[in-house]
Amino acid sequence: MPEVTYTTVMNLPVATIWDFVKDMNHWAPMLTGYQGHEVQSDTDSVWTLKGDVGILSRTVKLAVHITEWVDAEKVSFTLTGLNEVVEGGGTFTMAQAAAGAAAGAPVPAVTQPKPGLWRRFLNWFFRAMFKRKFGTVERAALTAPAAGGVSSHLTFTLRMDAGGPTAPLVNAMLEPALLPAAEDLGNKIAAHLEAAQAGSGA
Amino acid sequence: MFERFTKKKQRFTEEADVVVIGTGGAGLVAALAAAEGGAKVVLLEKSQLVGGTTAVSGGVVWVPQNHHMAEVGVADSREDALGYLRIIADGRTEDALLERYVDEAPKMARWLEDKTPLRFTALGHYPDYHPEHPGGKPGGRSMETGLFQTAELGDWAKALRRSPIFGATPMTVTEATEWGVFSKPLSLPYGELAKRYKAGFVCYGASLVGNLLAGCLARGVEPRLGVAASSLIQDETGRVIGVEATAGGGQITIGAKGGVILATGGFEWNSELRTRFLGGQLTHPNSPPISDGDGLRMAMAVGADLGNMSEAWWCPSVVVPGEDYDGVQLNRGDFAIRSLPHSIIVNAAGQRFVNEAHNYNDMMKPFFHFDPVAYARPNLPAWLVIDQAFVERYLLVTSVPGMAPPSWIPKADTLAELAAAVGIDAGGLAATVQRFNGFAAEGVDRDFRRGESVYDHFYGDPDHTPNPNLGTIEKGPFYALEVHPGAIGTKGGPMTTRDAEVRGADGQVIAGLYAAGNVMAGITGPGYPGAGATIGTAMTWGWLAGRHAAAHKAG
Repeated sequence: MPEVTYTTVMNLPVATIWDFVKDMNHWAPMLTGYQGHEVQSDTDSVWTLKGDVGILSRTVKLAVHITEWVDAEKVSFTLTGLNEVVEGGGTFTMAQAAAGAAAGAPVPAVTQPKPGLWRRFLNWFFRAMFKRKFGTVERAALTAPAAGGVSSHLTFTLRMDAGGPTAPLVNAMLEPALLPAAEDLGNKIAAHLEAAQAGSGA
Repeated sequence: MFERFTKKKQRFTEEADVVVIGTGGAGLVAALAAAEGGAKVVLLEKSQLVGGTTAVSGGVVWVPQNHHMAEVGVADSREDALGYLRIIADGRTEDALLERYVDEAPKMARWLEDKTPLRFTALGHYPDYHPEHPGGKPGGRSMETGLFQTAELGDWAKALRRSPIFGATPMTVTEATEWGVFSKPLSLPYGELAKRYKAGFVCYGASLVGNLLAGCLARGVEPRLGVAASSLIQDETGRVIGVEATAGGGQITIGAKGGVILATGGFEWNSELRTRFLGGQLTHPNSPPISDGDGLRMAMAVGADLGNMSEAWWCPSVVVPGEDYDGVQLNRGDFAIRSLPHSIIVNAAGQRFVNEAHNYNDMMKPFFHFDPVAYARPNLPAWLVIDQAFVERYLLVTSVPGMAPPSWIPKADTLAELAAAVGIDAGGLAATVQRFNGFAAEGVDRDFRRGESVYDHFYGDPDHTPNPNLGTIEKGPFYALEVHPGAIGTKGGPMTTRDAEVRGADGQVIAGLYAAGNVMAGITGPGYPGAGATIGTAMTWGWLAGRHAAAHKAG
C-alpha cells in the first residue's frame, strides 16, 4: 500500500496547531484538488477531490471516518472511495519539538525568510542528511525558533490502496501523487498558521 | 489576423529552409524527411507537449503492401490495395492520390525503419475495417511499433504527450490482443504493467511519437514548444515564404525558403468550424483540445481549395463525469463495449439502429440519420444497454469483473425501470431485447448483421458461442451508458497534389505550401480502410511534403 509521511516544524505551540487542525473546515480547502466536503457527523464526512491518476485527472469521492481523536496530539482517520475502488487512511500527529531540535529541523520552505549563506549551507547539508526514501520524506530546511519561542512538529501520514485486480497498476499511478499532496497540505497549514502568527504580532 | 503578406523584401526573425507546424505523426515525419533532405528545419508546436493526436492514438500505421506482411503470412498487391481504397473512398478521391498512397506508403515505412529507431510489426490478425470487401485483408496491413523507453529521449521525455487511456498501461497491440484486454481483463498482468509504467515505458501512439521524436532529435531538429503559428507569409507571386507565430507573448516571423508544411491536425475542437462544415453533430471529440482548425484557417486565408470538409474519423464516445485531460472533459472512444456480447445500442424509442460491432467510423453514421417528417434525428441520444452478465465478464469503461461498476452509470433491476430512468420507451426496449435475445441464441443478427465480419469478431469475445459478438440481455441489474457522437479527428481541409502541395481554389498549386494529416482533405474520403489509416496517410503525406520542400529549398 503506498504510504507517505511528511513532517513540518513550526515555530508555534502545539495548542495553536491543534486549534486549527481539529476543525477540518479550516484546512479542507488546502487539500490538493479540493472540490468540496460535506460534514455528516462528528466522525464522518464525504470529501470530493480532483486529482491526477496517471495522465488524466479524475474526481474522487471519499468517505472519511475518524477512528482516533486525542486532543492536541493525534487524529486518525480511514478513507473509503465511494466512486472508485480505493481505500486508505492517515493521521495527523503533533508534538512539541525537543529543545534544541529546531535548528535544522524540517520546516516548510514556504515559510522561510530568505536564508543567509550559513543557513543556505545548513539547508543543503540537512537536505542531504535527510535522505528521501520511498514513502517517507522529511524536508530539511532551516529556521531557528524565535528567541524564547517554541517549536512543534506536525506530521501528516497518508496511505491509499487501490482494490481489485488492477490494484498494482492503479497504485503505481497513485504513488507519485501522494507525497506532493502530503507536502502540499503540511506546507499550506504551516504557512497559514505562521502568517497568522506574524499578523497578530506574536 | 490572417493577413496576407505581399512584401517584396520580408524581414524575418529567423530563416529556415522548411517550417513544419505540428508535431503529430505527419509533422514529425515531415521534419525528418526535410532534415534528411538537407534542409534546415524549424518544427513548431503550439502546446507544451510533443505528439498531437497521434500520441494519444493506438499508434498503429496502416500501410498496404508493407514489407512485414509476408512475416505474418498475408499476401497483398497493388491491385488489391487500390481496388479496396476506391471502394472505401466512395468515389470522392482522385485515383492519382490513391495510387500515390499505395505506391509510396510502403517506401515511407521502410525509410523510417532505416532512418529512425522505429521497428514495425505487422498485426496479422488485425483486420481491415471492411475485410470482406474486394481487396480487403484479414490482417497484416496494420503495423504497430511496440514499447518505447522514454529514457531514450533524455529531458525530452517529459515533453512526450501520452494517452490518458493507454498512457499508463504499457502493452503492445499484440499483447493486448493475445491477453484479451477487453474480453478477458482479468488475464492482464497488472503487476508487470505497473513495473513497465514505473520504468518509463510507453506504448501505442506515444511509442510511435517517441521513436519519431528520437529520429528528429538525432538530426538536430528540436520542436519549439509553445510556439503557435498564426498566419502564412507570401511573396508578391503568392508563394508561401514563411509563417508568423506567437511565442512567449511576442510575435515572430520565420522564413521558409523551401516551404511551410501544415501538420496542425483537424478542427474538431472548433465549434464554429464544426457547425459550418461537418455533416454530423460532433459533440465529443476524442483528441487533445489542440486541434482547433488553426491550420485550416491559415490555408483558407491564402486561397486553398478545400475538400472532404463534411467528414471526420468518427468514433462513438462515452464520458466519465469529472475525468479531465488537458483541462477539458475527456471523451473516451468506445472500441469494445458495444462489440462484446450482452450489449446493444438503442435510441429513445428503444430500437436498435446499427451493427454495434462495426468499425467505429462507419457505425457512427446512422446516429446522424435524419427523419424528414419528424424533422429530427431519432438516433440521438443513444444508449448502450448492458446486463449483469456483461459486468461479470468484461471491461466496462473503468471497472473490471470483481469491481463494482462505475456508480455514475444508470442502473436498475429491470429493463422497464432502466428505460424510465434514462428516458427510453420501455415497450420499445422490451420488444428490441426480446428480438435481440433470439438472435443471440441463434448466433445470427438478422437485423444488422452484427457478428458476421471477422472485424466484428476482433473486438468480440472469442470464447463466447455461438457468436463472439452476440449475447442475451436478460440478467439484471441492467445498465444504460449514453453514447455520444465523437471523432478522433476531422479530415477535411486543403486539397493536395501527389507531392502534398496545397492547391488553390483556382486549381493551381500554392507554391511553398504543403499539408499532411488531419489538416488536409483526407484521401480516404468518408471511409476508414483499417486501423492506422489516419496515421498511415498522415505520415506518408508528411514524408512526401518533407522531401519535396527540402528539394525546393532554393525557392
